Amino acid sequence: MVSIARSALLRQTGAAGPIARPSVIAHGVRATAFHTTAQKSLLAPPPQRIEGSVNDPAPVPETSPSHGSYHWTFDRVVAASLIPLTVAPFAAGSLNPTLDAILASTLLIHSHTGFQNIVIDYIPKKRMPGIRRLFVWGLNAATAVIGLALYEFETTDVGLVETIKRIWRA
Amino acid sequence: MIAQRAGTTALRRAAGGPNTFFTANVARLGLASPMSTTQTRLVATQKLTPTDGDAILAQQRLRRPVSPHLEIYDKMQTYFGGSAWQRITGAGFSGALYVFGASYLAAPLLGWHLESASLAAAFGALPFAVKAGAKFVLAWPFVFHAINGVRHLTYDFAVGFQRRTIVQGGWYIWGASIVGGLYLAFFV
Amino acid sequence: MAALRSTPFRVLGSARPSLRLAAAAPVRGFAQLADGATKSLHASEGNERLKTFQIYRWNPDQPTEKPRMQSYTLDLDKTGPMVLDALIRIKNELDPTVTFRRSCREGICGSCAMNINGTNTLACLCRIPTETNADLKIYPLPHTYVVKDLVPDLTQFYKQYKSIKPYLQRDTPSPDGKEYRQSKADRKKLDGLYECILCACCSTSCPSYWWNSEEYLGPAILLQSYRWLVDSRDERHEQRKDALNNSMSLYRCHTILNCTRTCPKGLNPGLAIAEIKKEMSF
Repeated sequence: MVSIARSALLRQTGAAGPIARPSVIAHGVRATAFHTTAQKSLLAPPPQRIEGSVNDPAPVPETSPSHGSYHWTFDRVVAASLIPLTVAPFAAGSLNPTLDAILASTLLIHSHTGFQNIVIDYIPKKRMPGIRRLFVWGLNAATAVIGLALYEFETTDVGLVETIKRIWRA
Repeated sequence: MIAQRAGTTALRRAAGGPNTFFTANVARLGLASPMSTTQTRLVATQKLTPTDGDAILAQQRLRRPVSPHLEIYDKMQTYFGGSAWQRITGAGFSGALYVFGASYLAAPLLGWHLESASLAAAFGALPFAVKAGAKFVLAWPFVFHAINGVRHLTYDFAVGFQRRTIVQGGWYIWGASIVGGLYLAFFV
Repeated sequence: MAALRSTPFRVLGSARPSLRLAAAAPVRGFAQLADGATKSLHASEGNERLKTFQIYRWNPDQPTEKPRMQSYTLDLDKTGPMVLDALIRIKNELDPTVTFRRSCREGICGSCAMNINGTNTLACLCRIPTETNADLKIYPLPHTYVVKDLVPDLTQFYKQYKSIKPYLQRDTPSPDGKEYRQSKADRKKLDGLYECILCACCSTSCPSYWWNSEEYLGPAILLQSYRWLVDSRDERHEQRKDALNNSMSLYRCHTILNCTRTCPKGLNPGLAIAEIKKEMSF
């Protein structure tokens, strides 16, 4: 990364020709442009604005366990319950239809909360409330559709684990 | 005084003069050089109300750059961080699940065949190298997400937070997931 | 790399792009009292340990100019062992416009927190790596608004600290009317928490805090939160927990654990956050 800038510097000094031009470099102080190219960062932070004076505390959000602790615990329980559901097919070779349906729905919930976390992390509510709402509801709609699709798949086809197994062994 | 100092430094740099320890020569340079007069800033103060001061500060804040982050931070902790790849692998699988689900619903309308039998037949018809590659590309993130997921669940019990455990665990997870991925791709 | 390093000297010696010449060119002693070019050209050769420091520069007086990296070369034999020593020497002898915060030079004030070679640490506690072939890169704390050069604006950080009410809240007077006593075991719970000096190294190492510093409190403030949550003398336990119980303040932590890896005081913000989550979950 820095070597790119270096070689540019090298070229510059090379272009100076045979006249040894005294320059900043002779003092052991060199300057290279920092790599802030014009590329637009996806999460480019806005110009700094501070609400209230330096001595005001940052606002404390409203208590909401369903977005906080309950949500977190639920997330972990879902993730932990995926462990036996993942190990079982490897140990037993297959999964019965009920367990397969449970696996599919747990995976769907796990995916949904995972995507939710991504939306909350990368689409700040304060900065872009419209886009945030769009993504939240878009995700909810997508999960509902995929839930329907998985229901279809589980009821008409051989099931998630068996499908993967057949493709893997094909 | 400070303004004068800055001026002489700039002058010294521009002229590229001898390597003098400049503080010893501040006075000499400042007086002798004709440029010093143009470089010197007059420092003037003015009385401001707190509101005016805040307004100036707010203006200054708007112009501040954000210091570099992802591009300069230790790569092992950003680009190779277990947590980041947990999200990337997870989002990959979940995305695949969502895309598959949507296609499966749309398949009858579009005339696609996404039943398990035709999928398996299509995959089986691929050359061995492609099959092996595809299997590893799916197996590695699966193993990574599984192992690292368990690690994150142990973190949630406030276990395994010693600095050395974290650093070594980061390496082990890469090694174990690659080995596990190869195993799943070729021996299962 | 070694050939690249010697480019500054080549300008003096010869402009011909010959690597051997460059390596053989006389090495000048930087930042020393030398009375002219001749003397420094004959300065001792080979036994100097020159190290280049690349420092992030941005001047608020020229706000339209982009931030840049500036290199300074010092002889390590004439410099103290810590990065802060080098910075002070650069400011004293090479470029007085280099701007950074420093105060105690012994890791107790937290002023000189900066990003050195990719990780956040205190310049006064960070040894200069002695190998001379790699440059040392110094940036301000990552993803902060830069006031000047290595000085970040920590206003939001301090406002967040204030928002967690970092003081003892208690209604019951002590039984003997003198002081609030606690058992040895209770006091021990504060070890590893009270030592935090709020240097912001951990918070600015956290990608979650990079993206959401407006609402997520970040590791340093959450460690301080936990310090008051476990204090047996504090009586606002539930209110403190309620203040964190939303999607942003606490739960943007995804146990990335850059915080624990970077803490220059050897504390464990990641563990403190995990303890808060554990306490709030059941």
